[in-house]
Amino acid sequence: MASKTAAIAGGEWHPPGSSRSVEARLVERGGEIAAVPAGGDKPLAGAGLSWVEVSGRVGSIPRRVTFPDGSIFETWDNDGIDRYLAARGRGGAGFVHWLEQFRLRLVVIVLIAFALGGAVYRWGVPALVEVAVWTTPPIVPELMGEGTLQALDKTAFSPSKLPETRRKEIADGFARIAALSPRGAGAYALNFRDGGIIGPNAFALPDGSLVVTDQLVEMADGDTEMIVGVLAHEIGHVELDHSLRQFYRAAGMTGLIMLIAGDVGSAVEDVLVQGGGLLALSYSREAEAEADRRSVELMAKAGYDPAAIARFFALIEEKLGDTSDTDILSTHPGTPQRKKDILDYARIVSGQSDPDLQ
Amino acid sequence: MSLEGSPQPAGQAGGFHRIEFTGKASEYFGIWIVNVLLTILTLGIYSAWAKVRRNRYFYGNTVLLGRSFEYHARGLQILIGRLIVLAGFVALNVIAAVVPVLALLPTIVVLIALPWLVAKGLRFSARVTSYRNVRFDFVGGPGGAFKAFILGGLLSVITLGILTPLASRWAARYLGQNLRYGGKAFETDPRLGALYRSWLVSFLIALVGLGVIALLVLANFSRIVPMIETPGSLSPEEQIPLIASMVIGYIVLFATFGIAGLFYRAGVRNATWSTTLFDGQHRLLSDVSRRRYTWIAISNVLVTIFTLGLMRPWAAVRMARYTWRHTGVTFTGDVGELFSRIEEQGSAIGAEFMDFEGFDFGF
Repeated sequence: MASKTAAIAGGEWHPPGSSRSVEARLVERGGEIAAVPAGGDKPLAGAGLSWVEVSGRVGSIPRRVTFPDGSIFETWDNDGIDRYLAARGRGGAGFVHWLEQFRLRLVVIVLIAFALGGAVYRWGVPALVEVAVWTTPPIVPELMGEGTLQALDKTAFSPSKLPETRRKEIADGFARIAALSPRGAGAYALNFRDGGIIGPNAFALPDGSLVVTDQLVEMADGDTEMIVGVLAHEIGHVELDHSLRQFYRAAGMTGLIMLIAGDVGSAVEDVLVQGGGLLALSYSREAEAEADRRSVELMAKAGYDPAAIARFFALIEEKLGDTSDTDILSTHPGTPQRKKDILDYARIVSGQSDPDLQ
Repeated sequence: MSLEGSPQPAGQAGGFHRIEFTGKASEYFGIWIVNVLLTILTLGIYSAWAKVRRNRYFYGNTVLLGRSFEYHARGLQILIGRLIVLAGFVALNVIAAVVPVLALLPTIVVLIALPWLVAKGLRFSARVTSYRNVRFDFVGGPGGAFKAFILGGLLSVITLGILTPLASRWAARYLGQNLRYGGKAFETDPRLGALYRSWLVSFLIALVGLGVIALLVLANFSRIVPMIETPGSLSPEEQIPLIASMVIGYIVLFATFGIAGLFYRAGVRNATWSTTLFDGQHRLLSDVSRRRYTWIAISNVLVTIFTLGLMRPWAAVRMARYTWRHTGVTFTGDVGELFSRIEEQGSAIGAEFMDFEGFDFGF
């Protein structure tokens, strides 16, 4: 070996774009880096270090040194390459590779990864959902609401067949509680529809349109206060932006699972998606409970029976025989449980003086 | 590790050579956990670079004739590809949410765009893969992808799985016949008979699963009927066996269909690879044991879940080692001679900078 020539690593050299290989060694010669054939001395390719590209280190897979003429020198001798790069102030194998080495410090990385993962799930996603809800322009819920109602009118619903007087009673009661909502009565619009196949139901659209079906009014059998209680529950859903929140949370969770899918494999990804579905149901049950409590508060403020909505659940139990308990697979809390929670909360709300009435 | 770590020049003898996977679980563990950590820290942006490191590790440890494969994609390319697909997806969903009349629009657009994205993704994956300094290429178009994946998928669903082997054959031929290496073609033609032999075993496994579920339904028949007729008539005590049966049924369904699918996949792999020829004369071979493959896949998932993901690197390395160990090539003639003549074709290089990874599809 010539005195000015320092060997870096042994490997193979390829001409540009060819699978033909020549056994070679990588040497440094007069400030240049060159590939020299085994047993020869005439360089196959060479250039200043700043002109060659050295592939980054990953584990101990082969490294490629690409010369400006497109030819390649490939070697399994990672350490030789790293020693040379470090000596030339090019940082050796790099920081990411340093982190990845199987040393005791990986325990710390594992712990940080777990802690961060938990934090993202616990606070990161909810915070992002809040930001998304905040920055959603009002036009989006409006369009969503309009479109949904139009679609339902075209398919399931037909105009309400209730007598005008009955509708007025309900609308008056509704106006009393809507006025108490922080958004004001103008934020809500009550619609009466014949539910058709949908049957007895009441729901809120994200833009503040509320729909109550004739079948629900008939089921109430003249108990206007109860219907108002149900509508107060729907106002609660609108105030708390439940539908937007649900949409963003599902999107956020799906995104997270997709991002780590490559690192956990497709089967585990499936398991995570199933688990995510169960978690979404728990949020849905929580949203129902929140809306129930909001109903109690609004009804108490308006001077109605705060537990009016509990009568509605009693009616459901009686008419539909729904006595099921809450379980992990339901979107709504179990009816008996809901009734109990509402009655408890109503006692708390009416037991304390309402600051808004003073 | 110094010079003795350098590869032996490709053996001059032709004949049969198995592929070897040289990755180590401990080494990959470090790469994996740092990938996970940085992906979380950067809110997912690093996931593109994580994919590059993961693939470089796996390709770089897949060794044939003493030389490894290589993965050349750059993180930024993958990130741009992902952002484009994500933006399209979000835009479609917003339109669908805002204008319910167009609720079916995303589905229609996806059906039209998917074949194009699949073909593009396959081309990308092929072009960023090289062996001995020569890149692969993929020349399949969206039409073939539509027939192989969407039509084939629909066909197997509509016929309750009976025509699945036909769909598998279309997919294998689309993938195999459009792959190029140094401008030379691959050809593959899995026999329907071989595919159906694999399929029959899987079909029987799935039938056993359905049989168990039918038994569960029969056992609970006395409870199910009144529940449908008068909801809420069951006391909570009566509901317990019903819920238990539902959970057991779900697990049985998941397990039997999972096993059937894995069994079938291993059979298709063998049938496809073993009928693949490169350049009309070099024959590929796959001889994975269906039972062993299924066992590895299922135990991998269980171990990964019970160790909160920490054994995932071990599981991934274990699977790669097994499948590559059972894959090989029979070269006709002199190997050194063969590889001294293969040149990269212009179309496979340079174009990658214009390409984006349309749709992630394992190559």
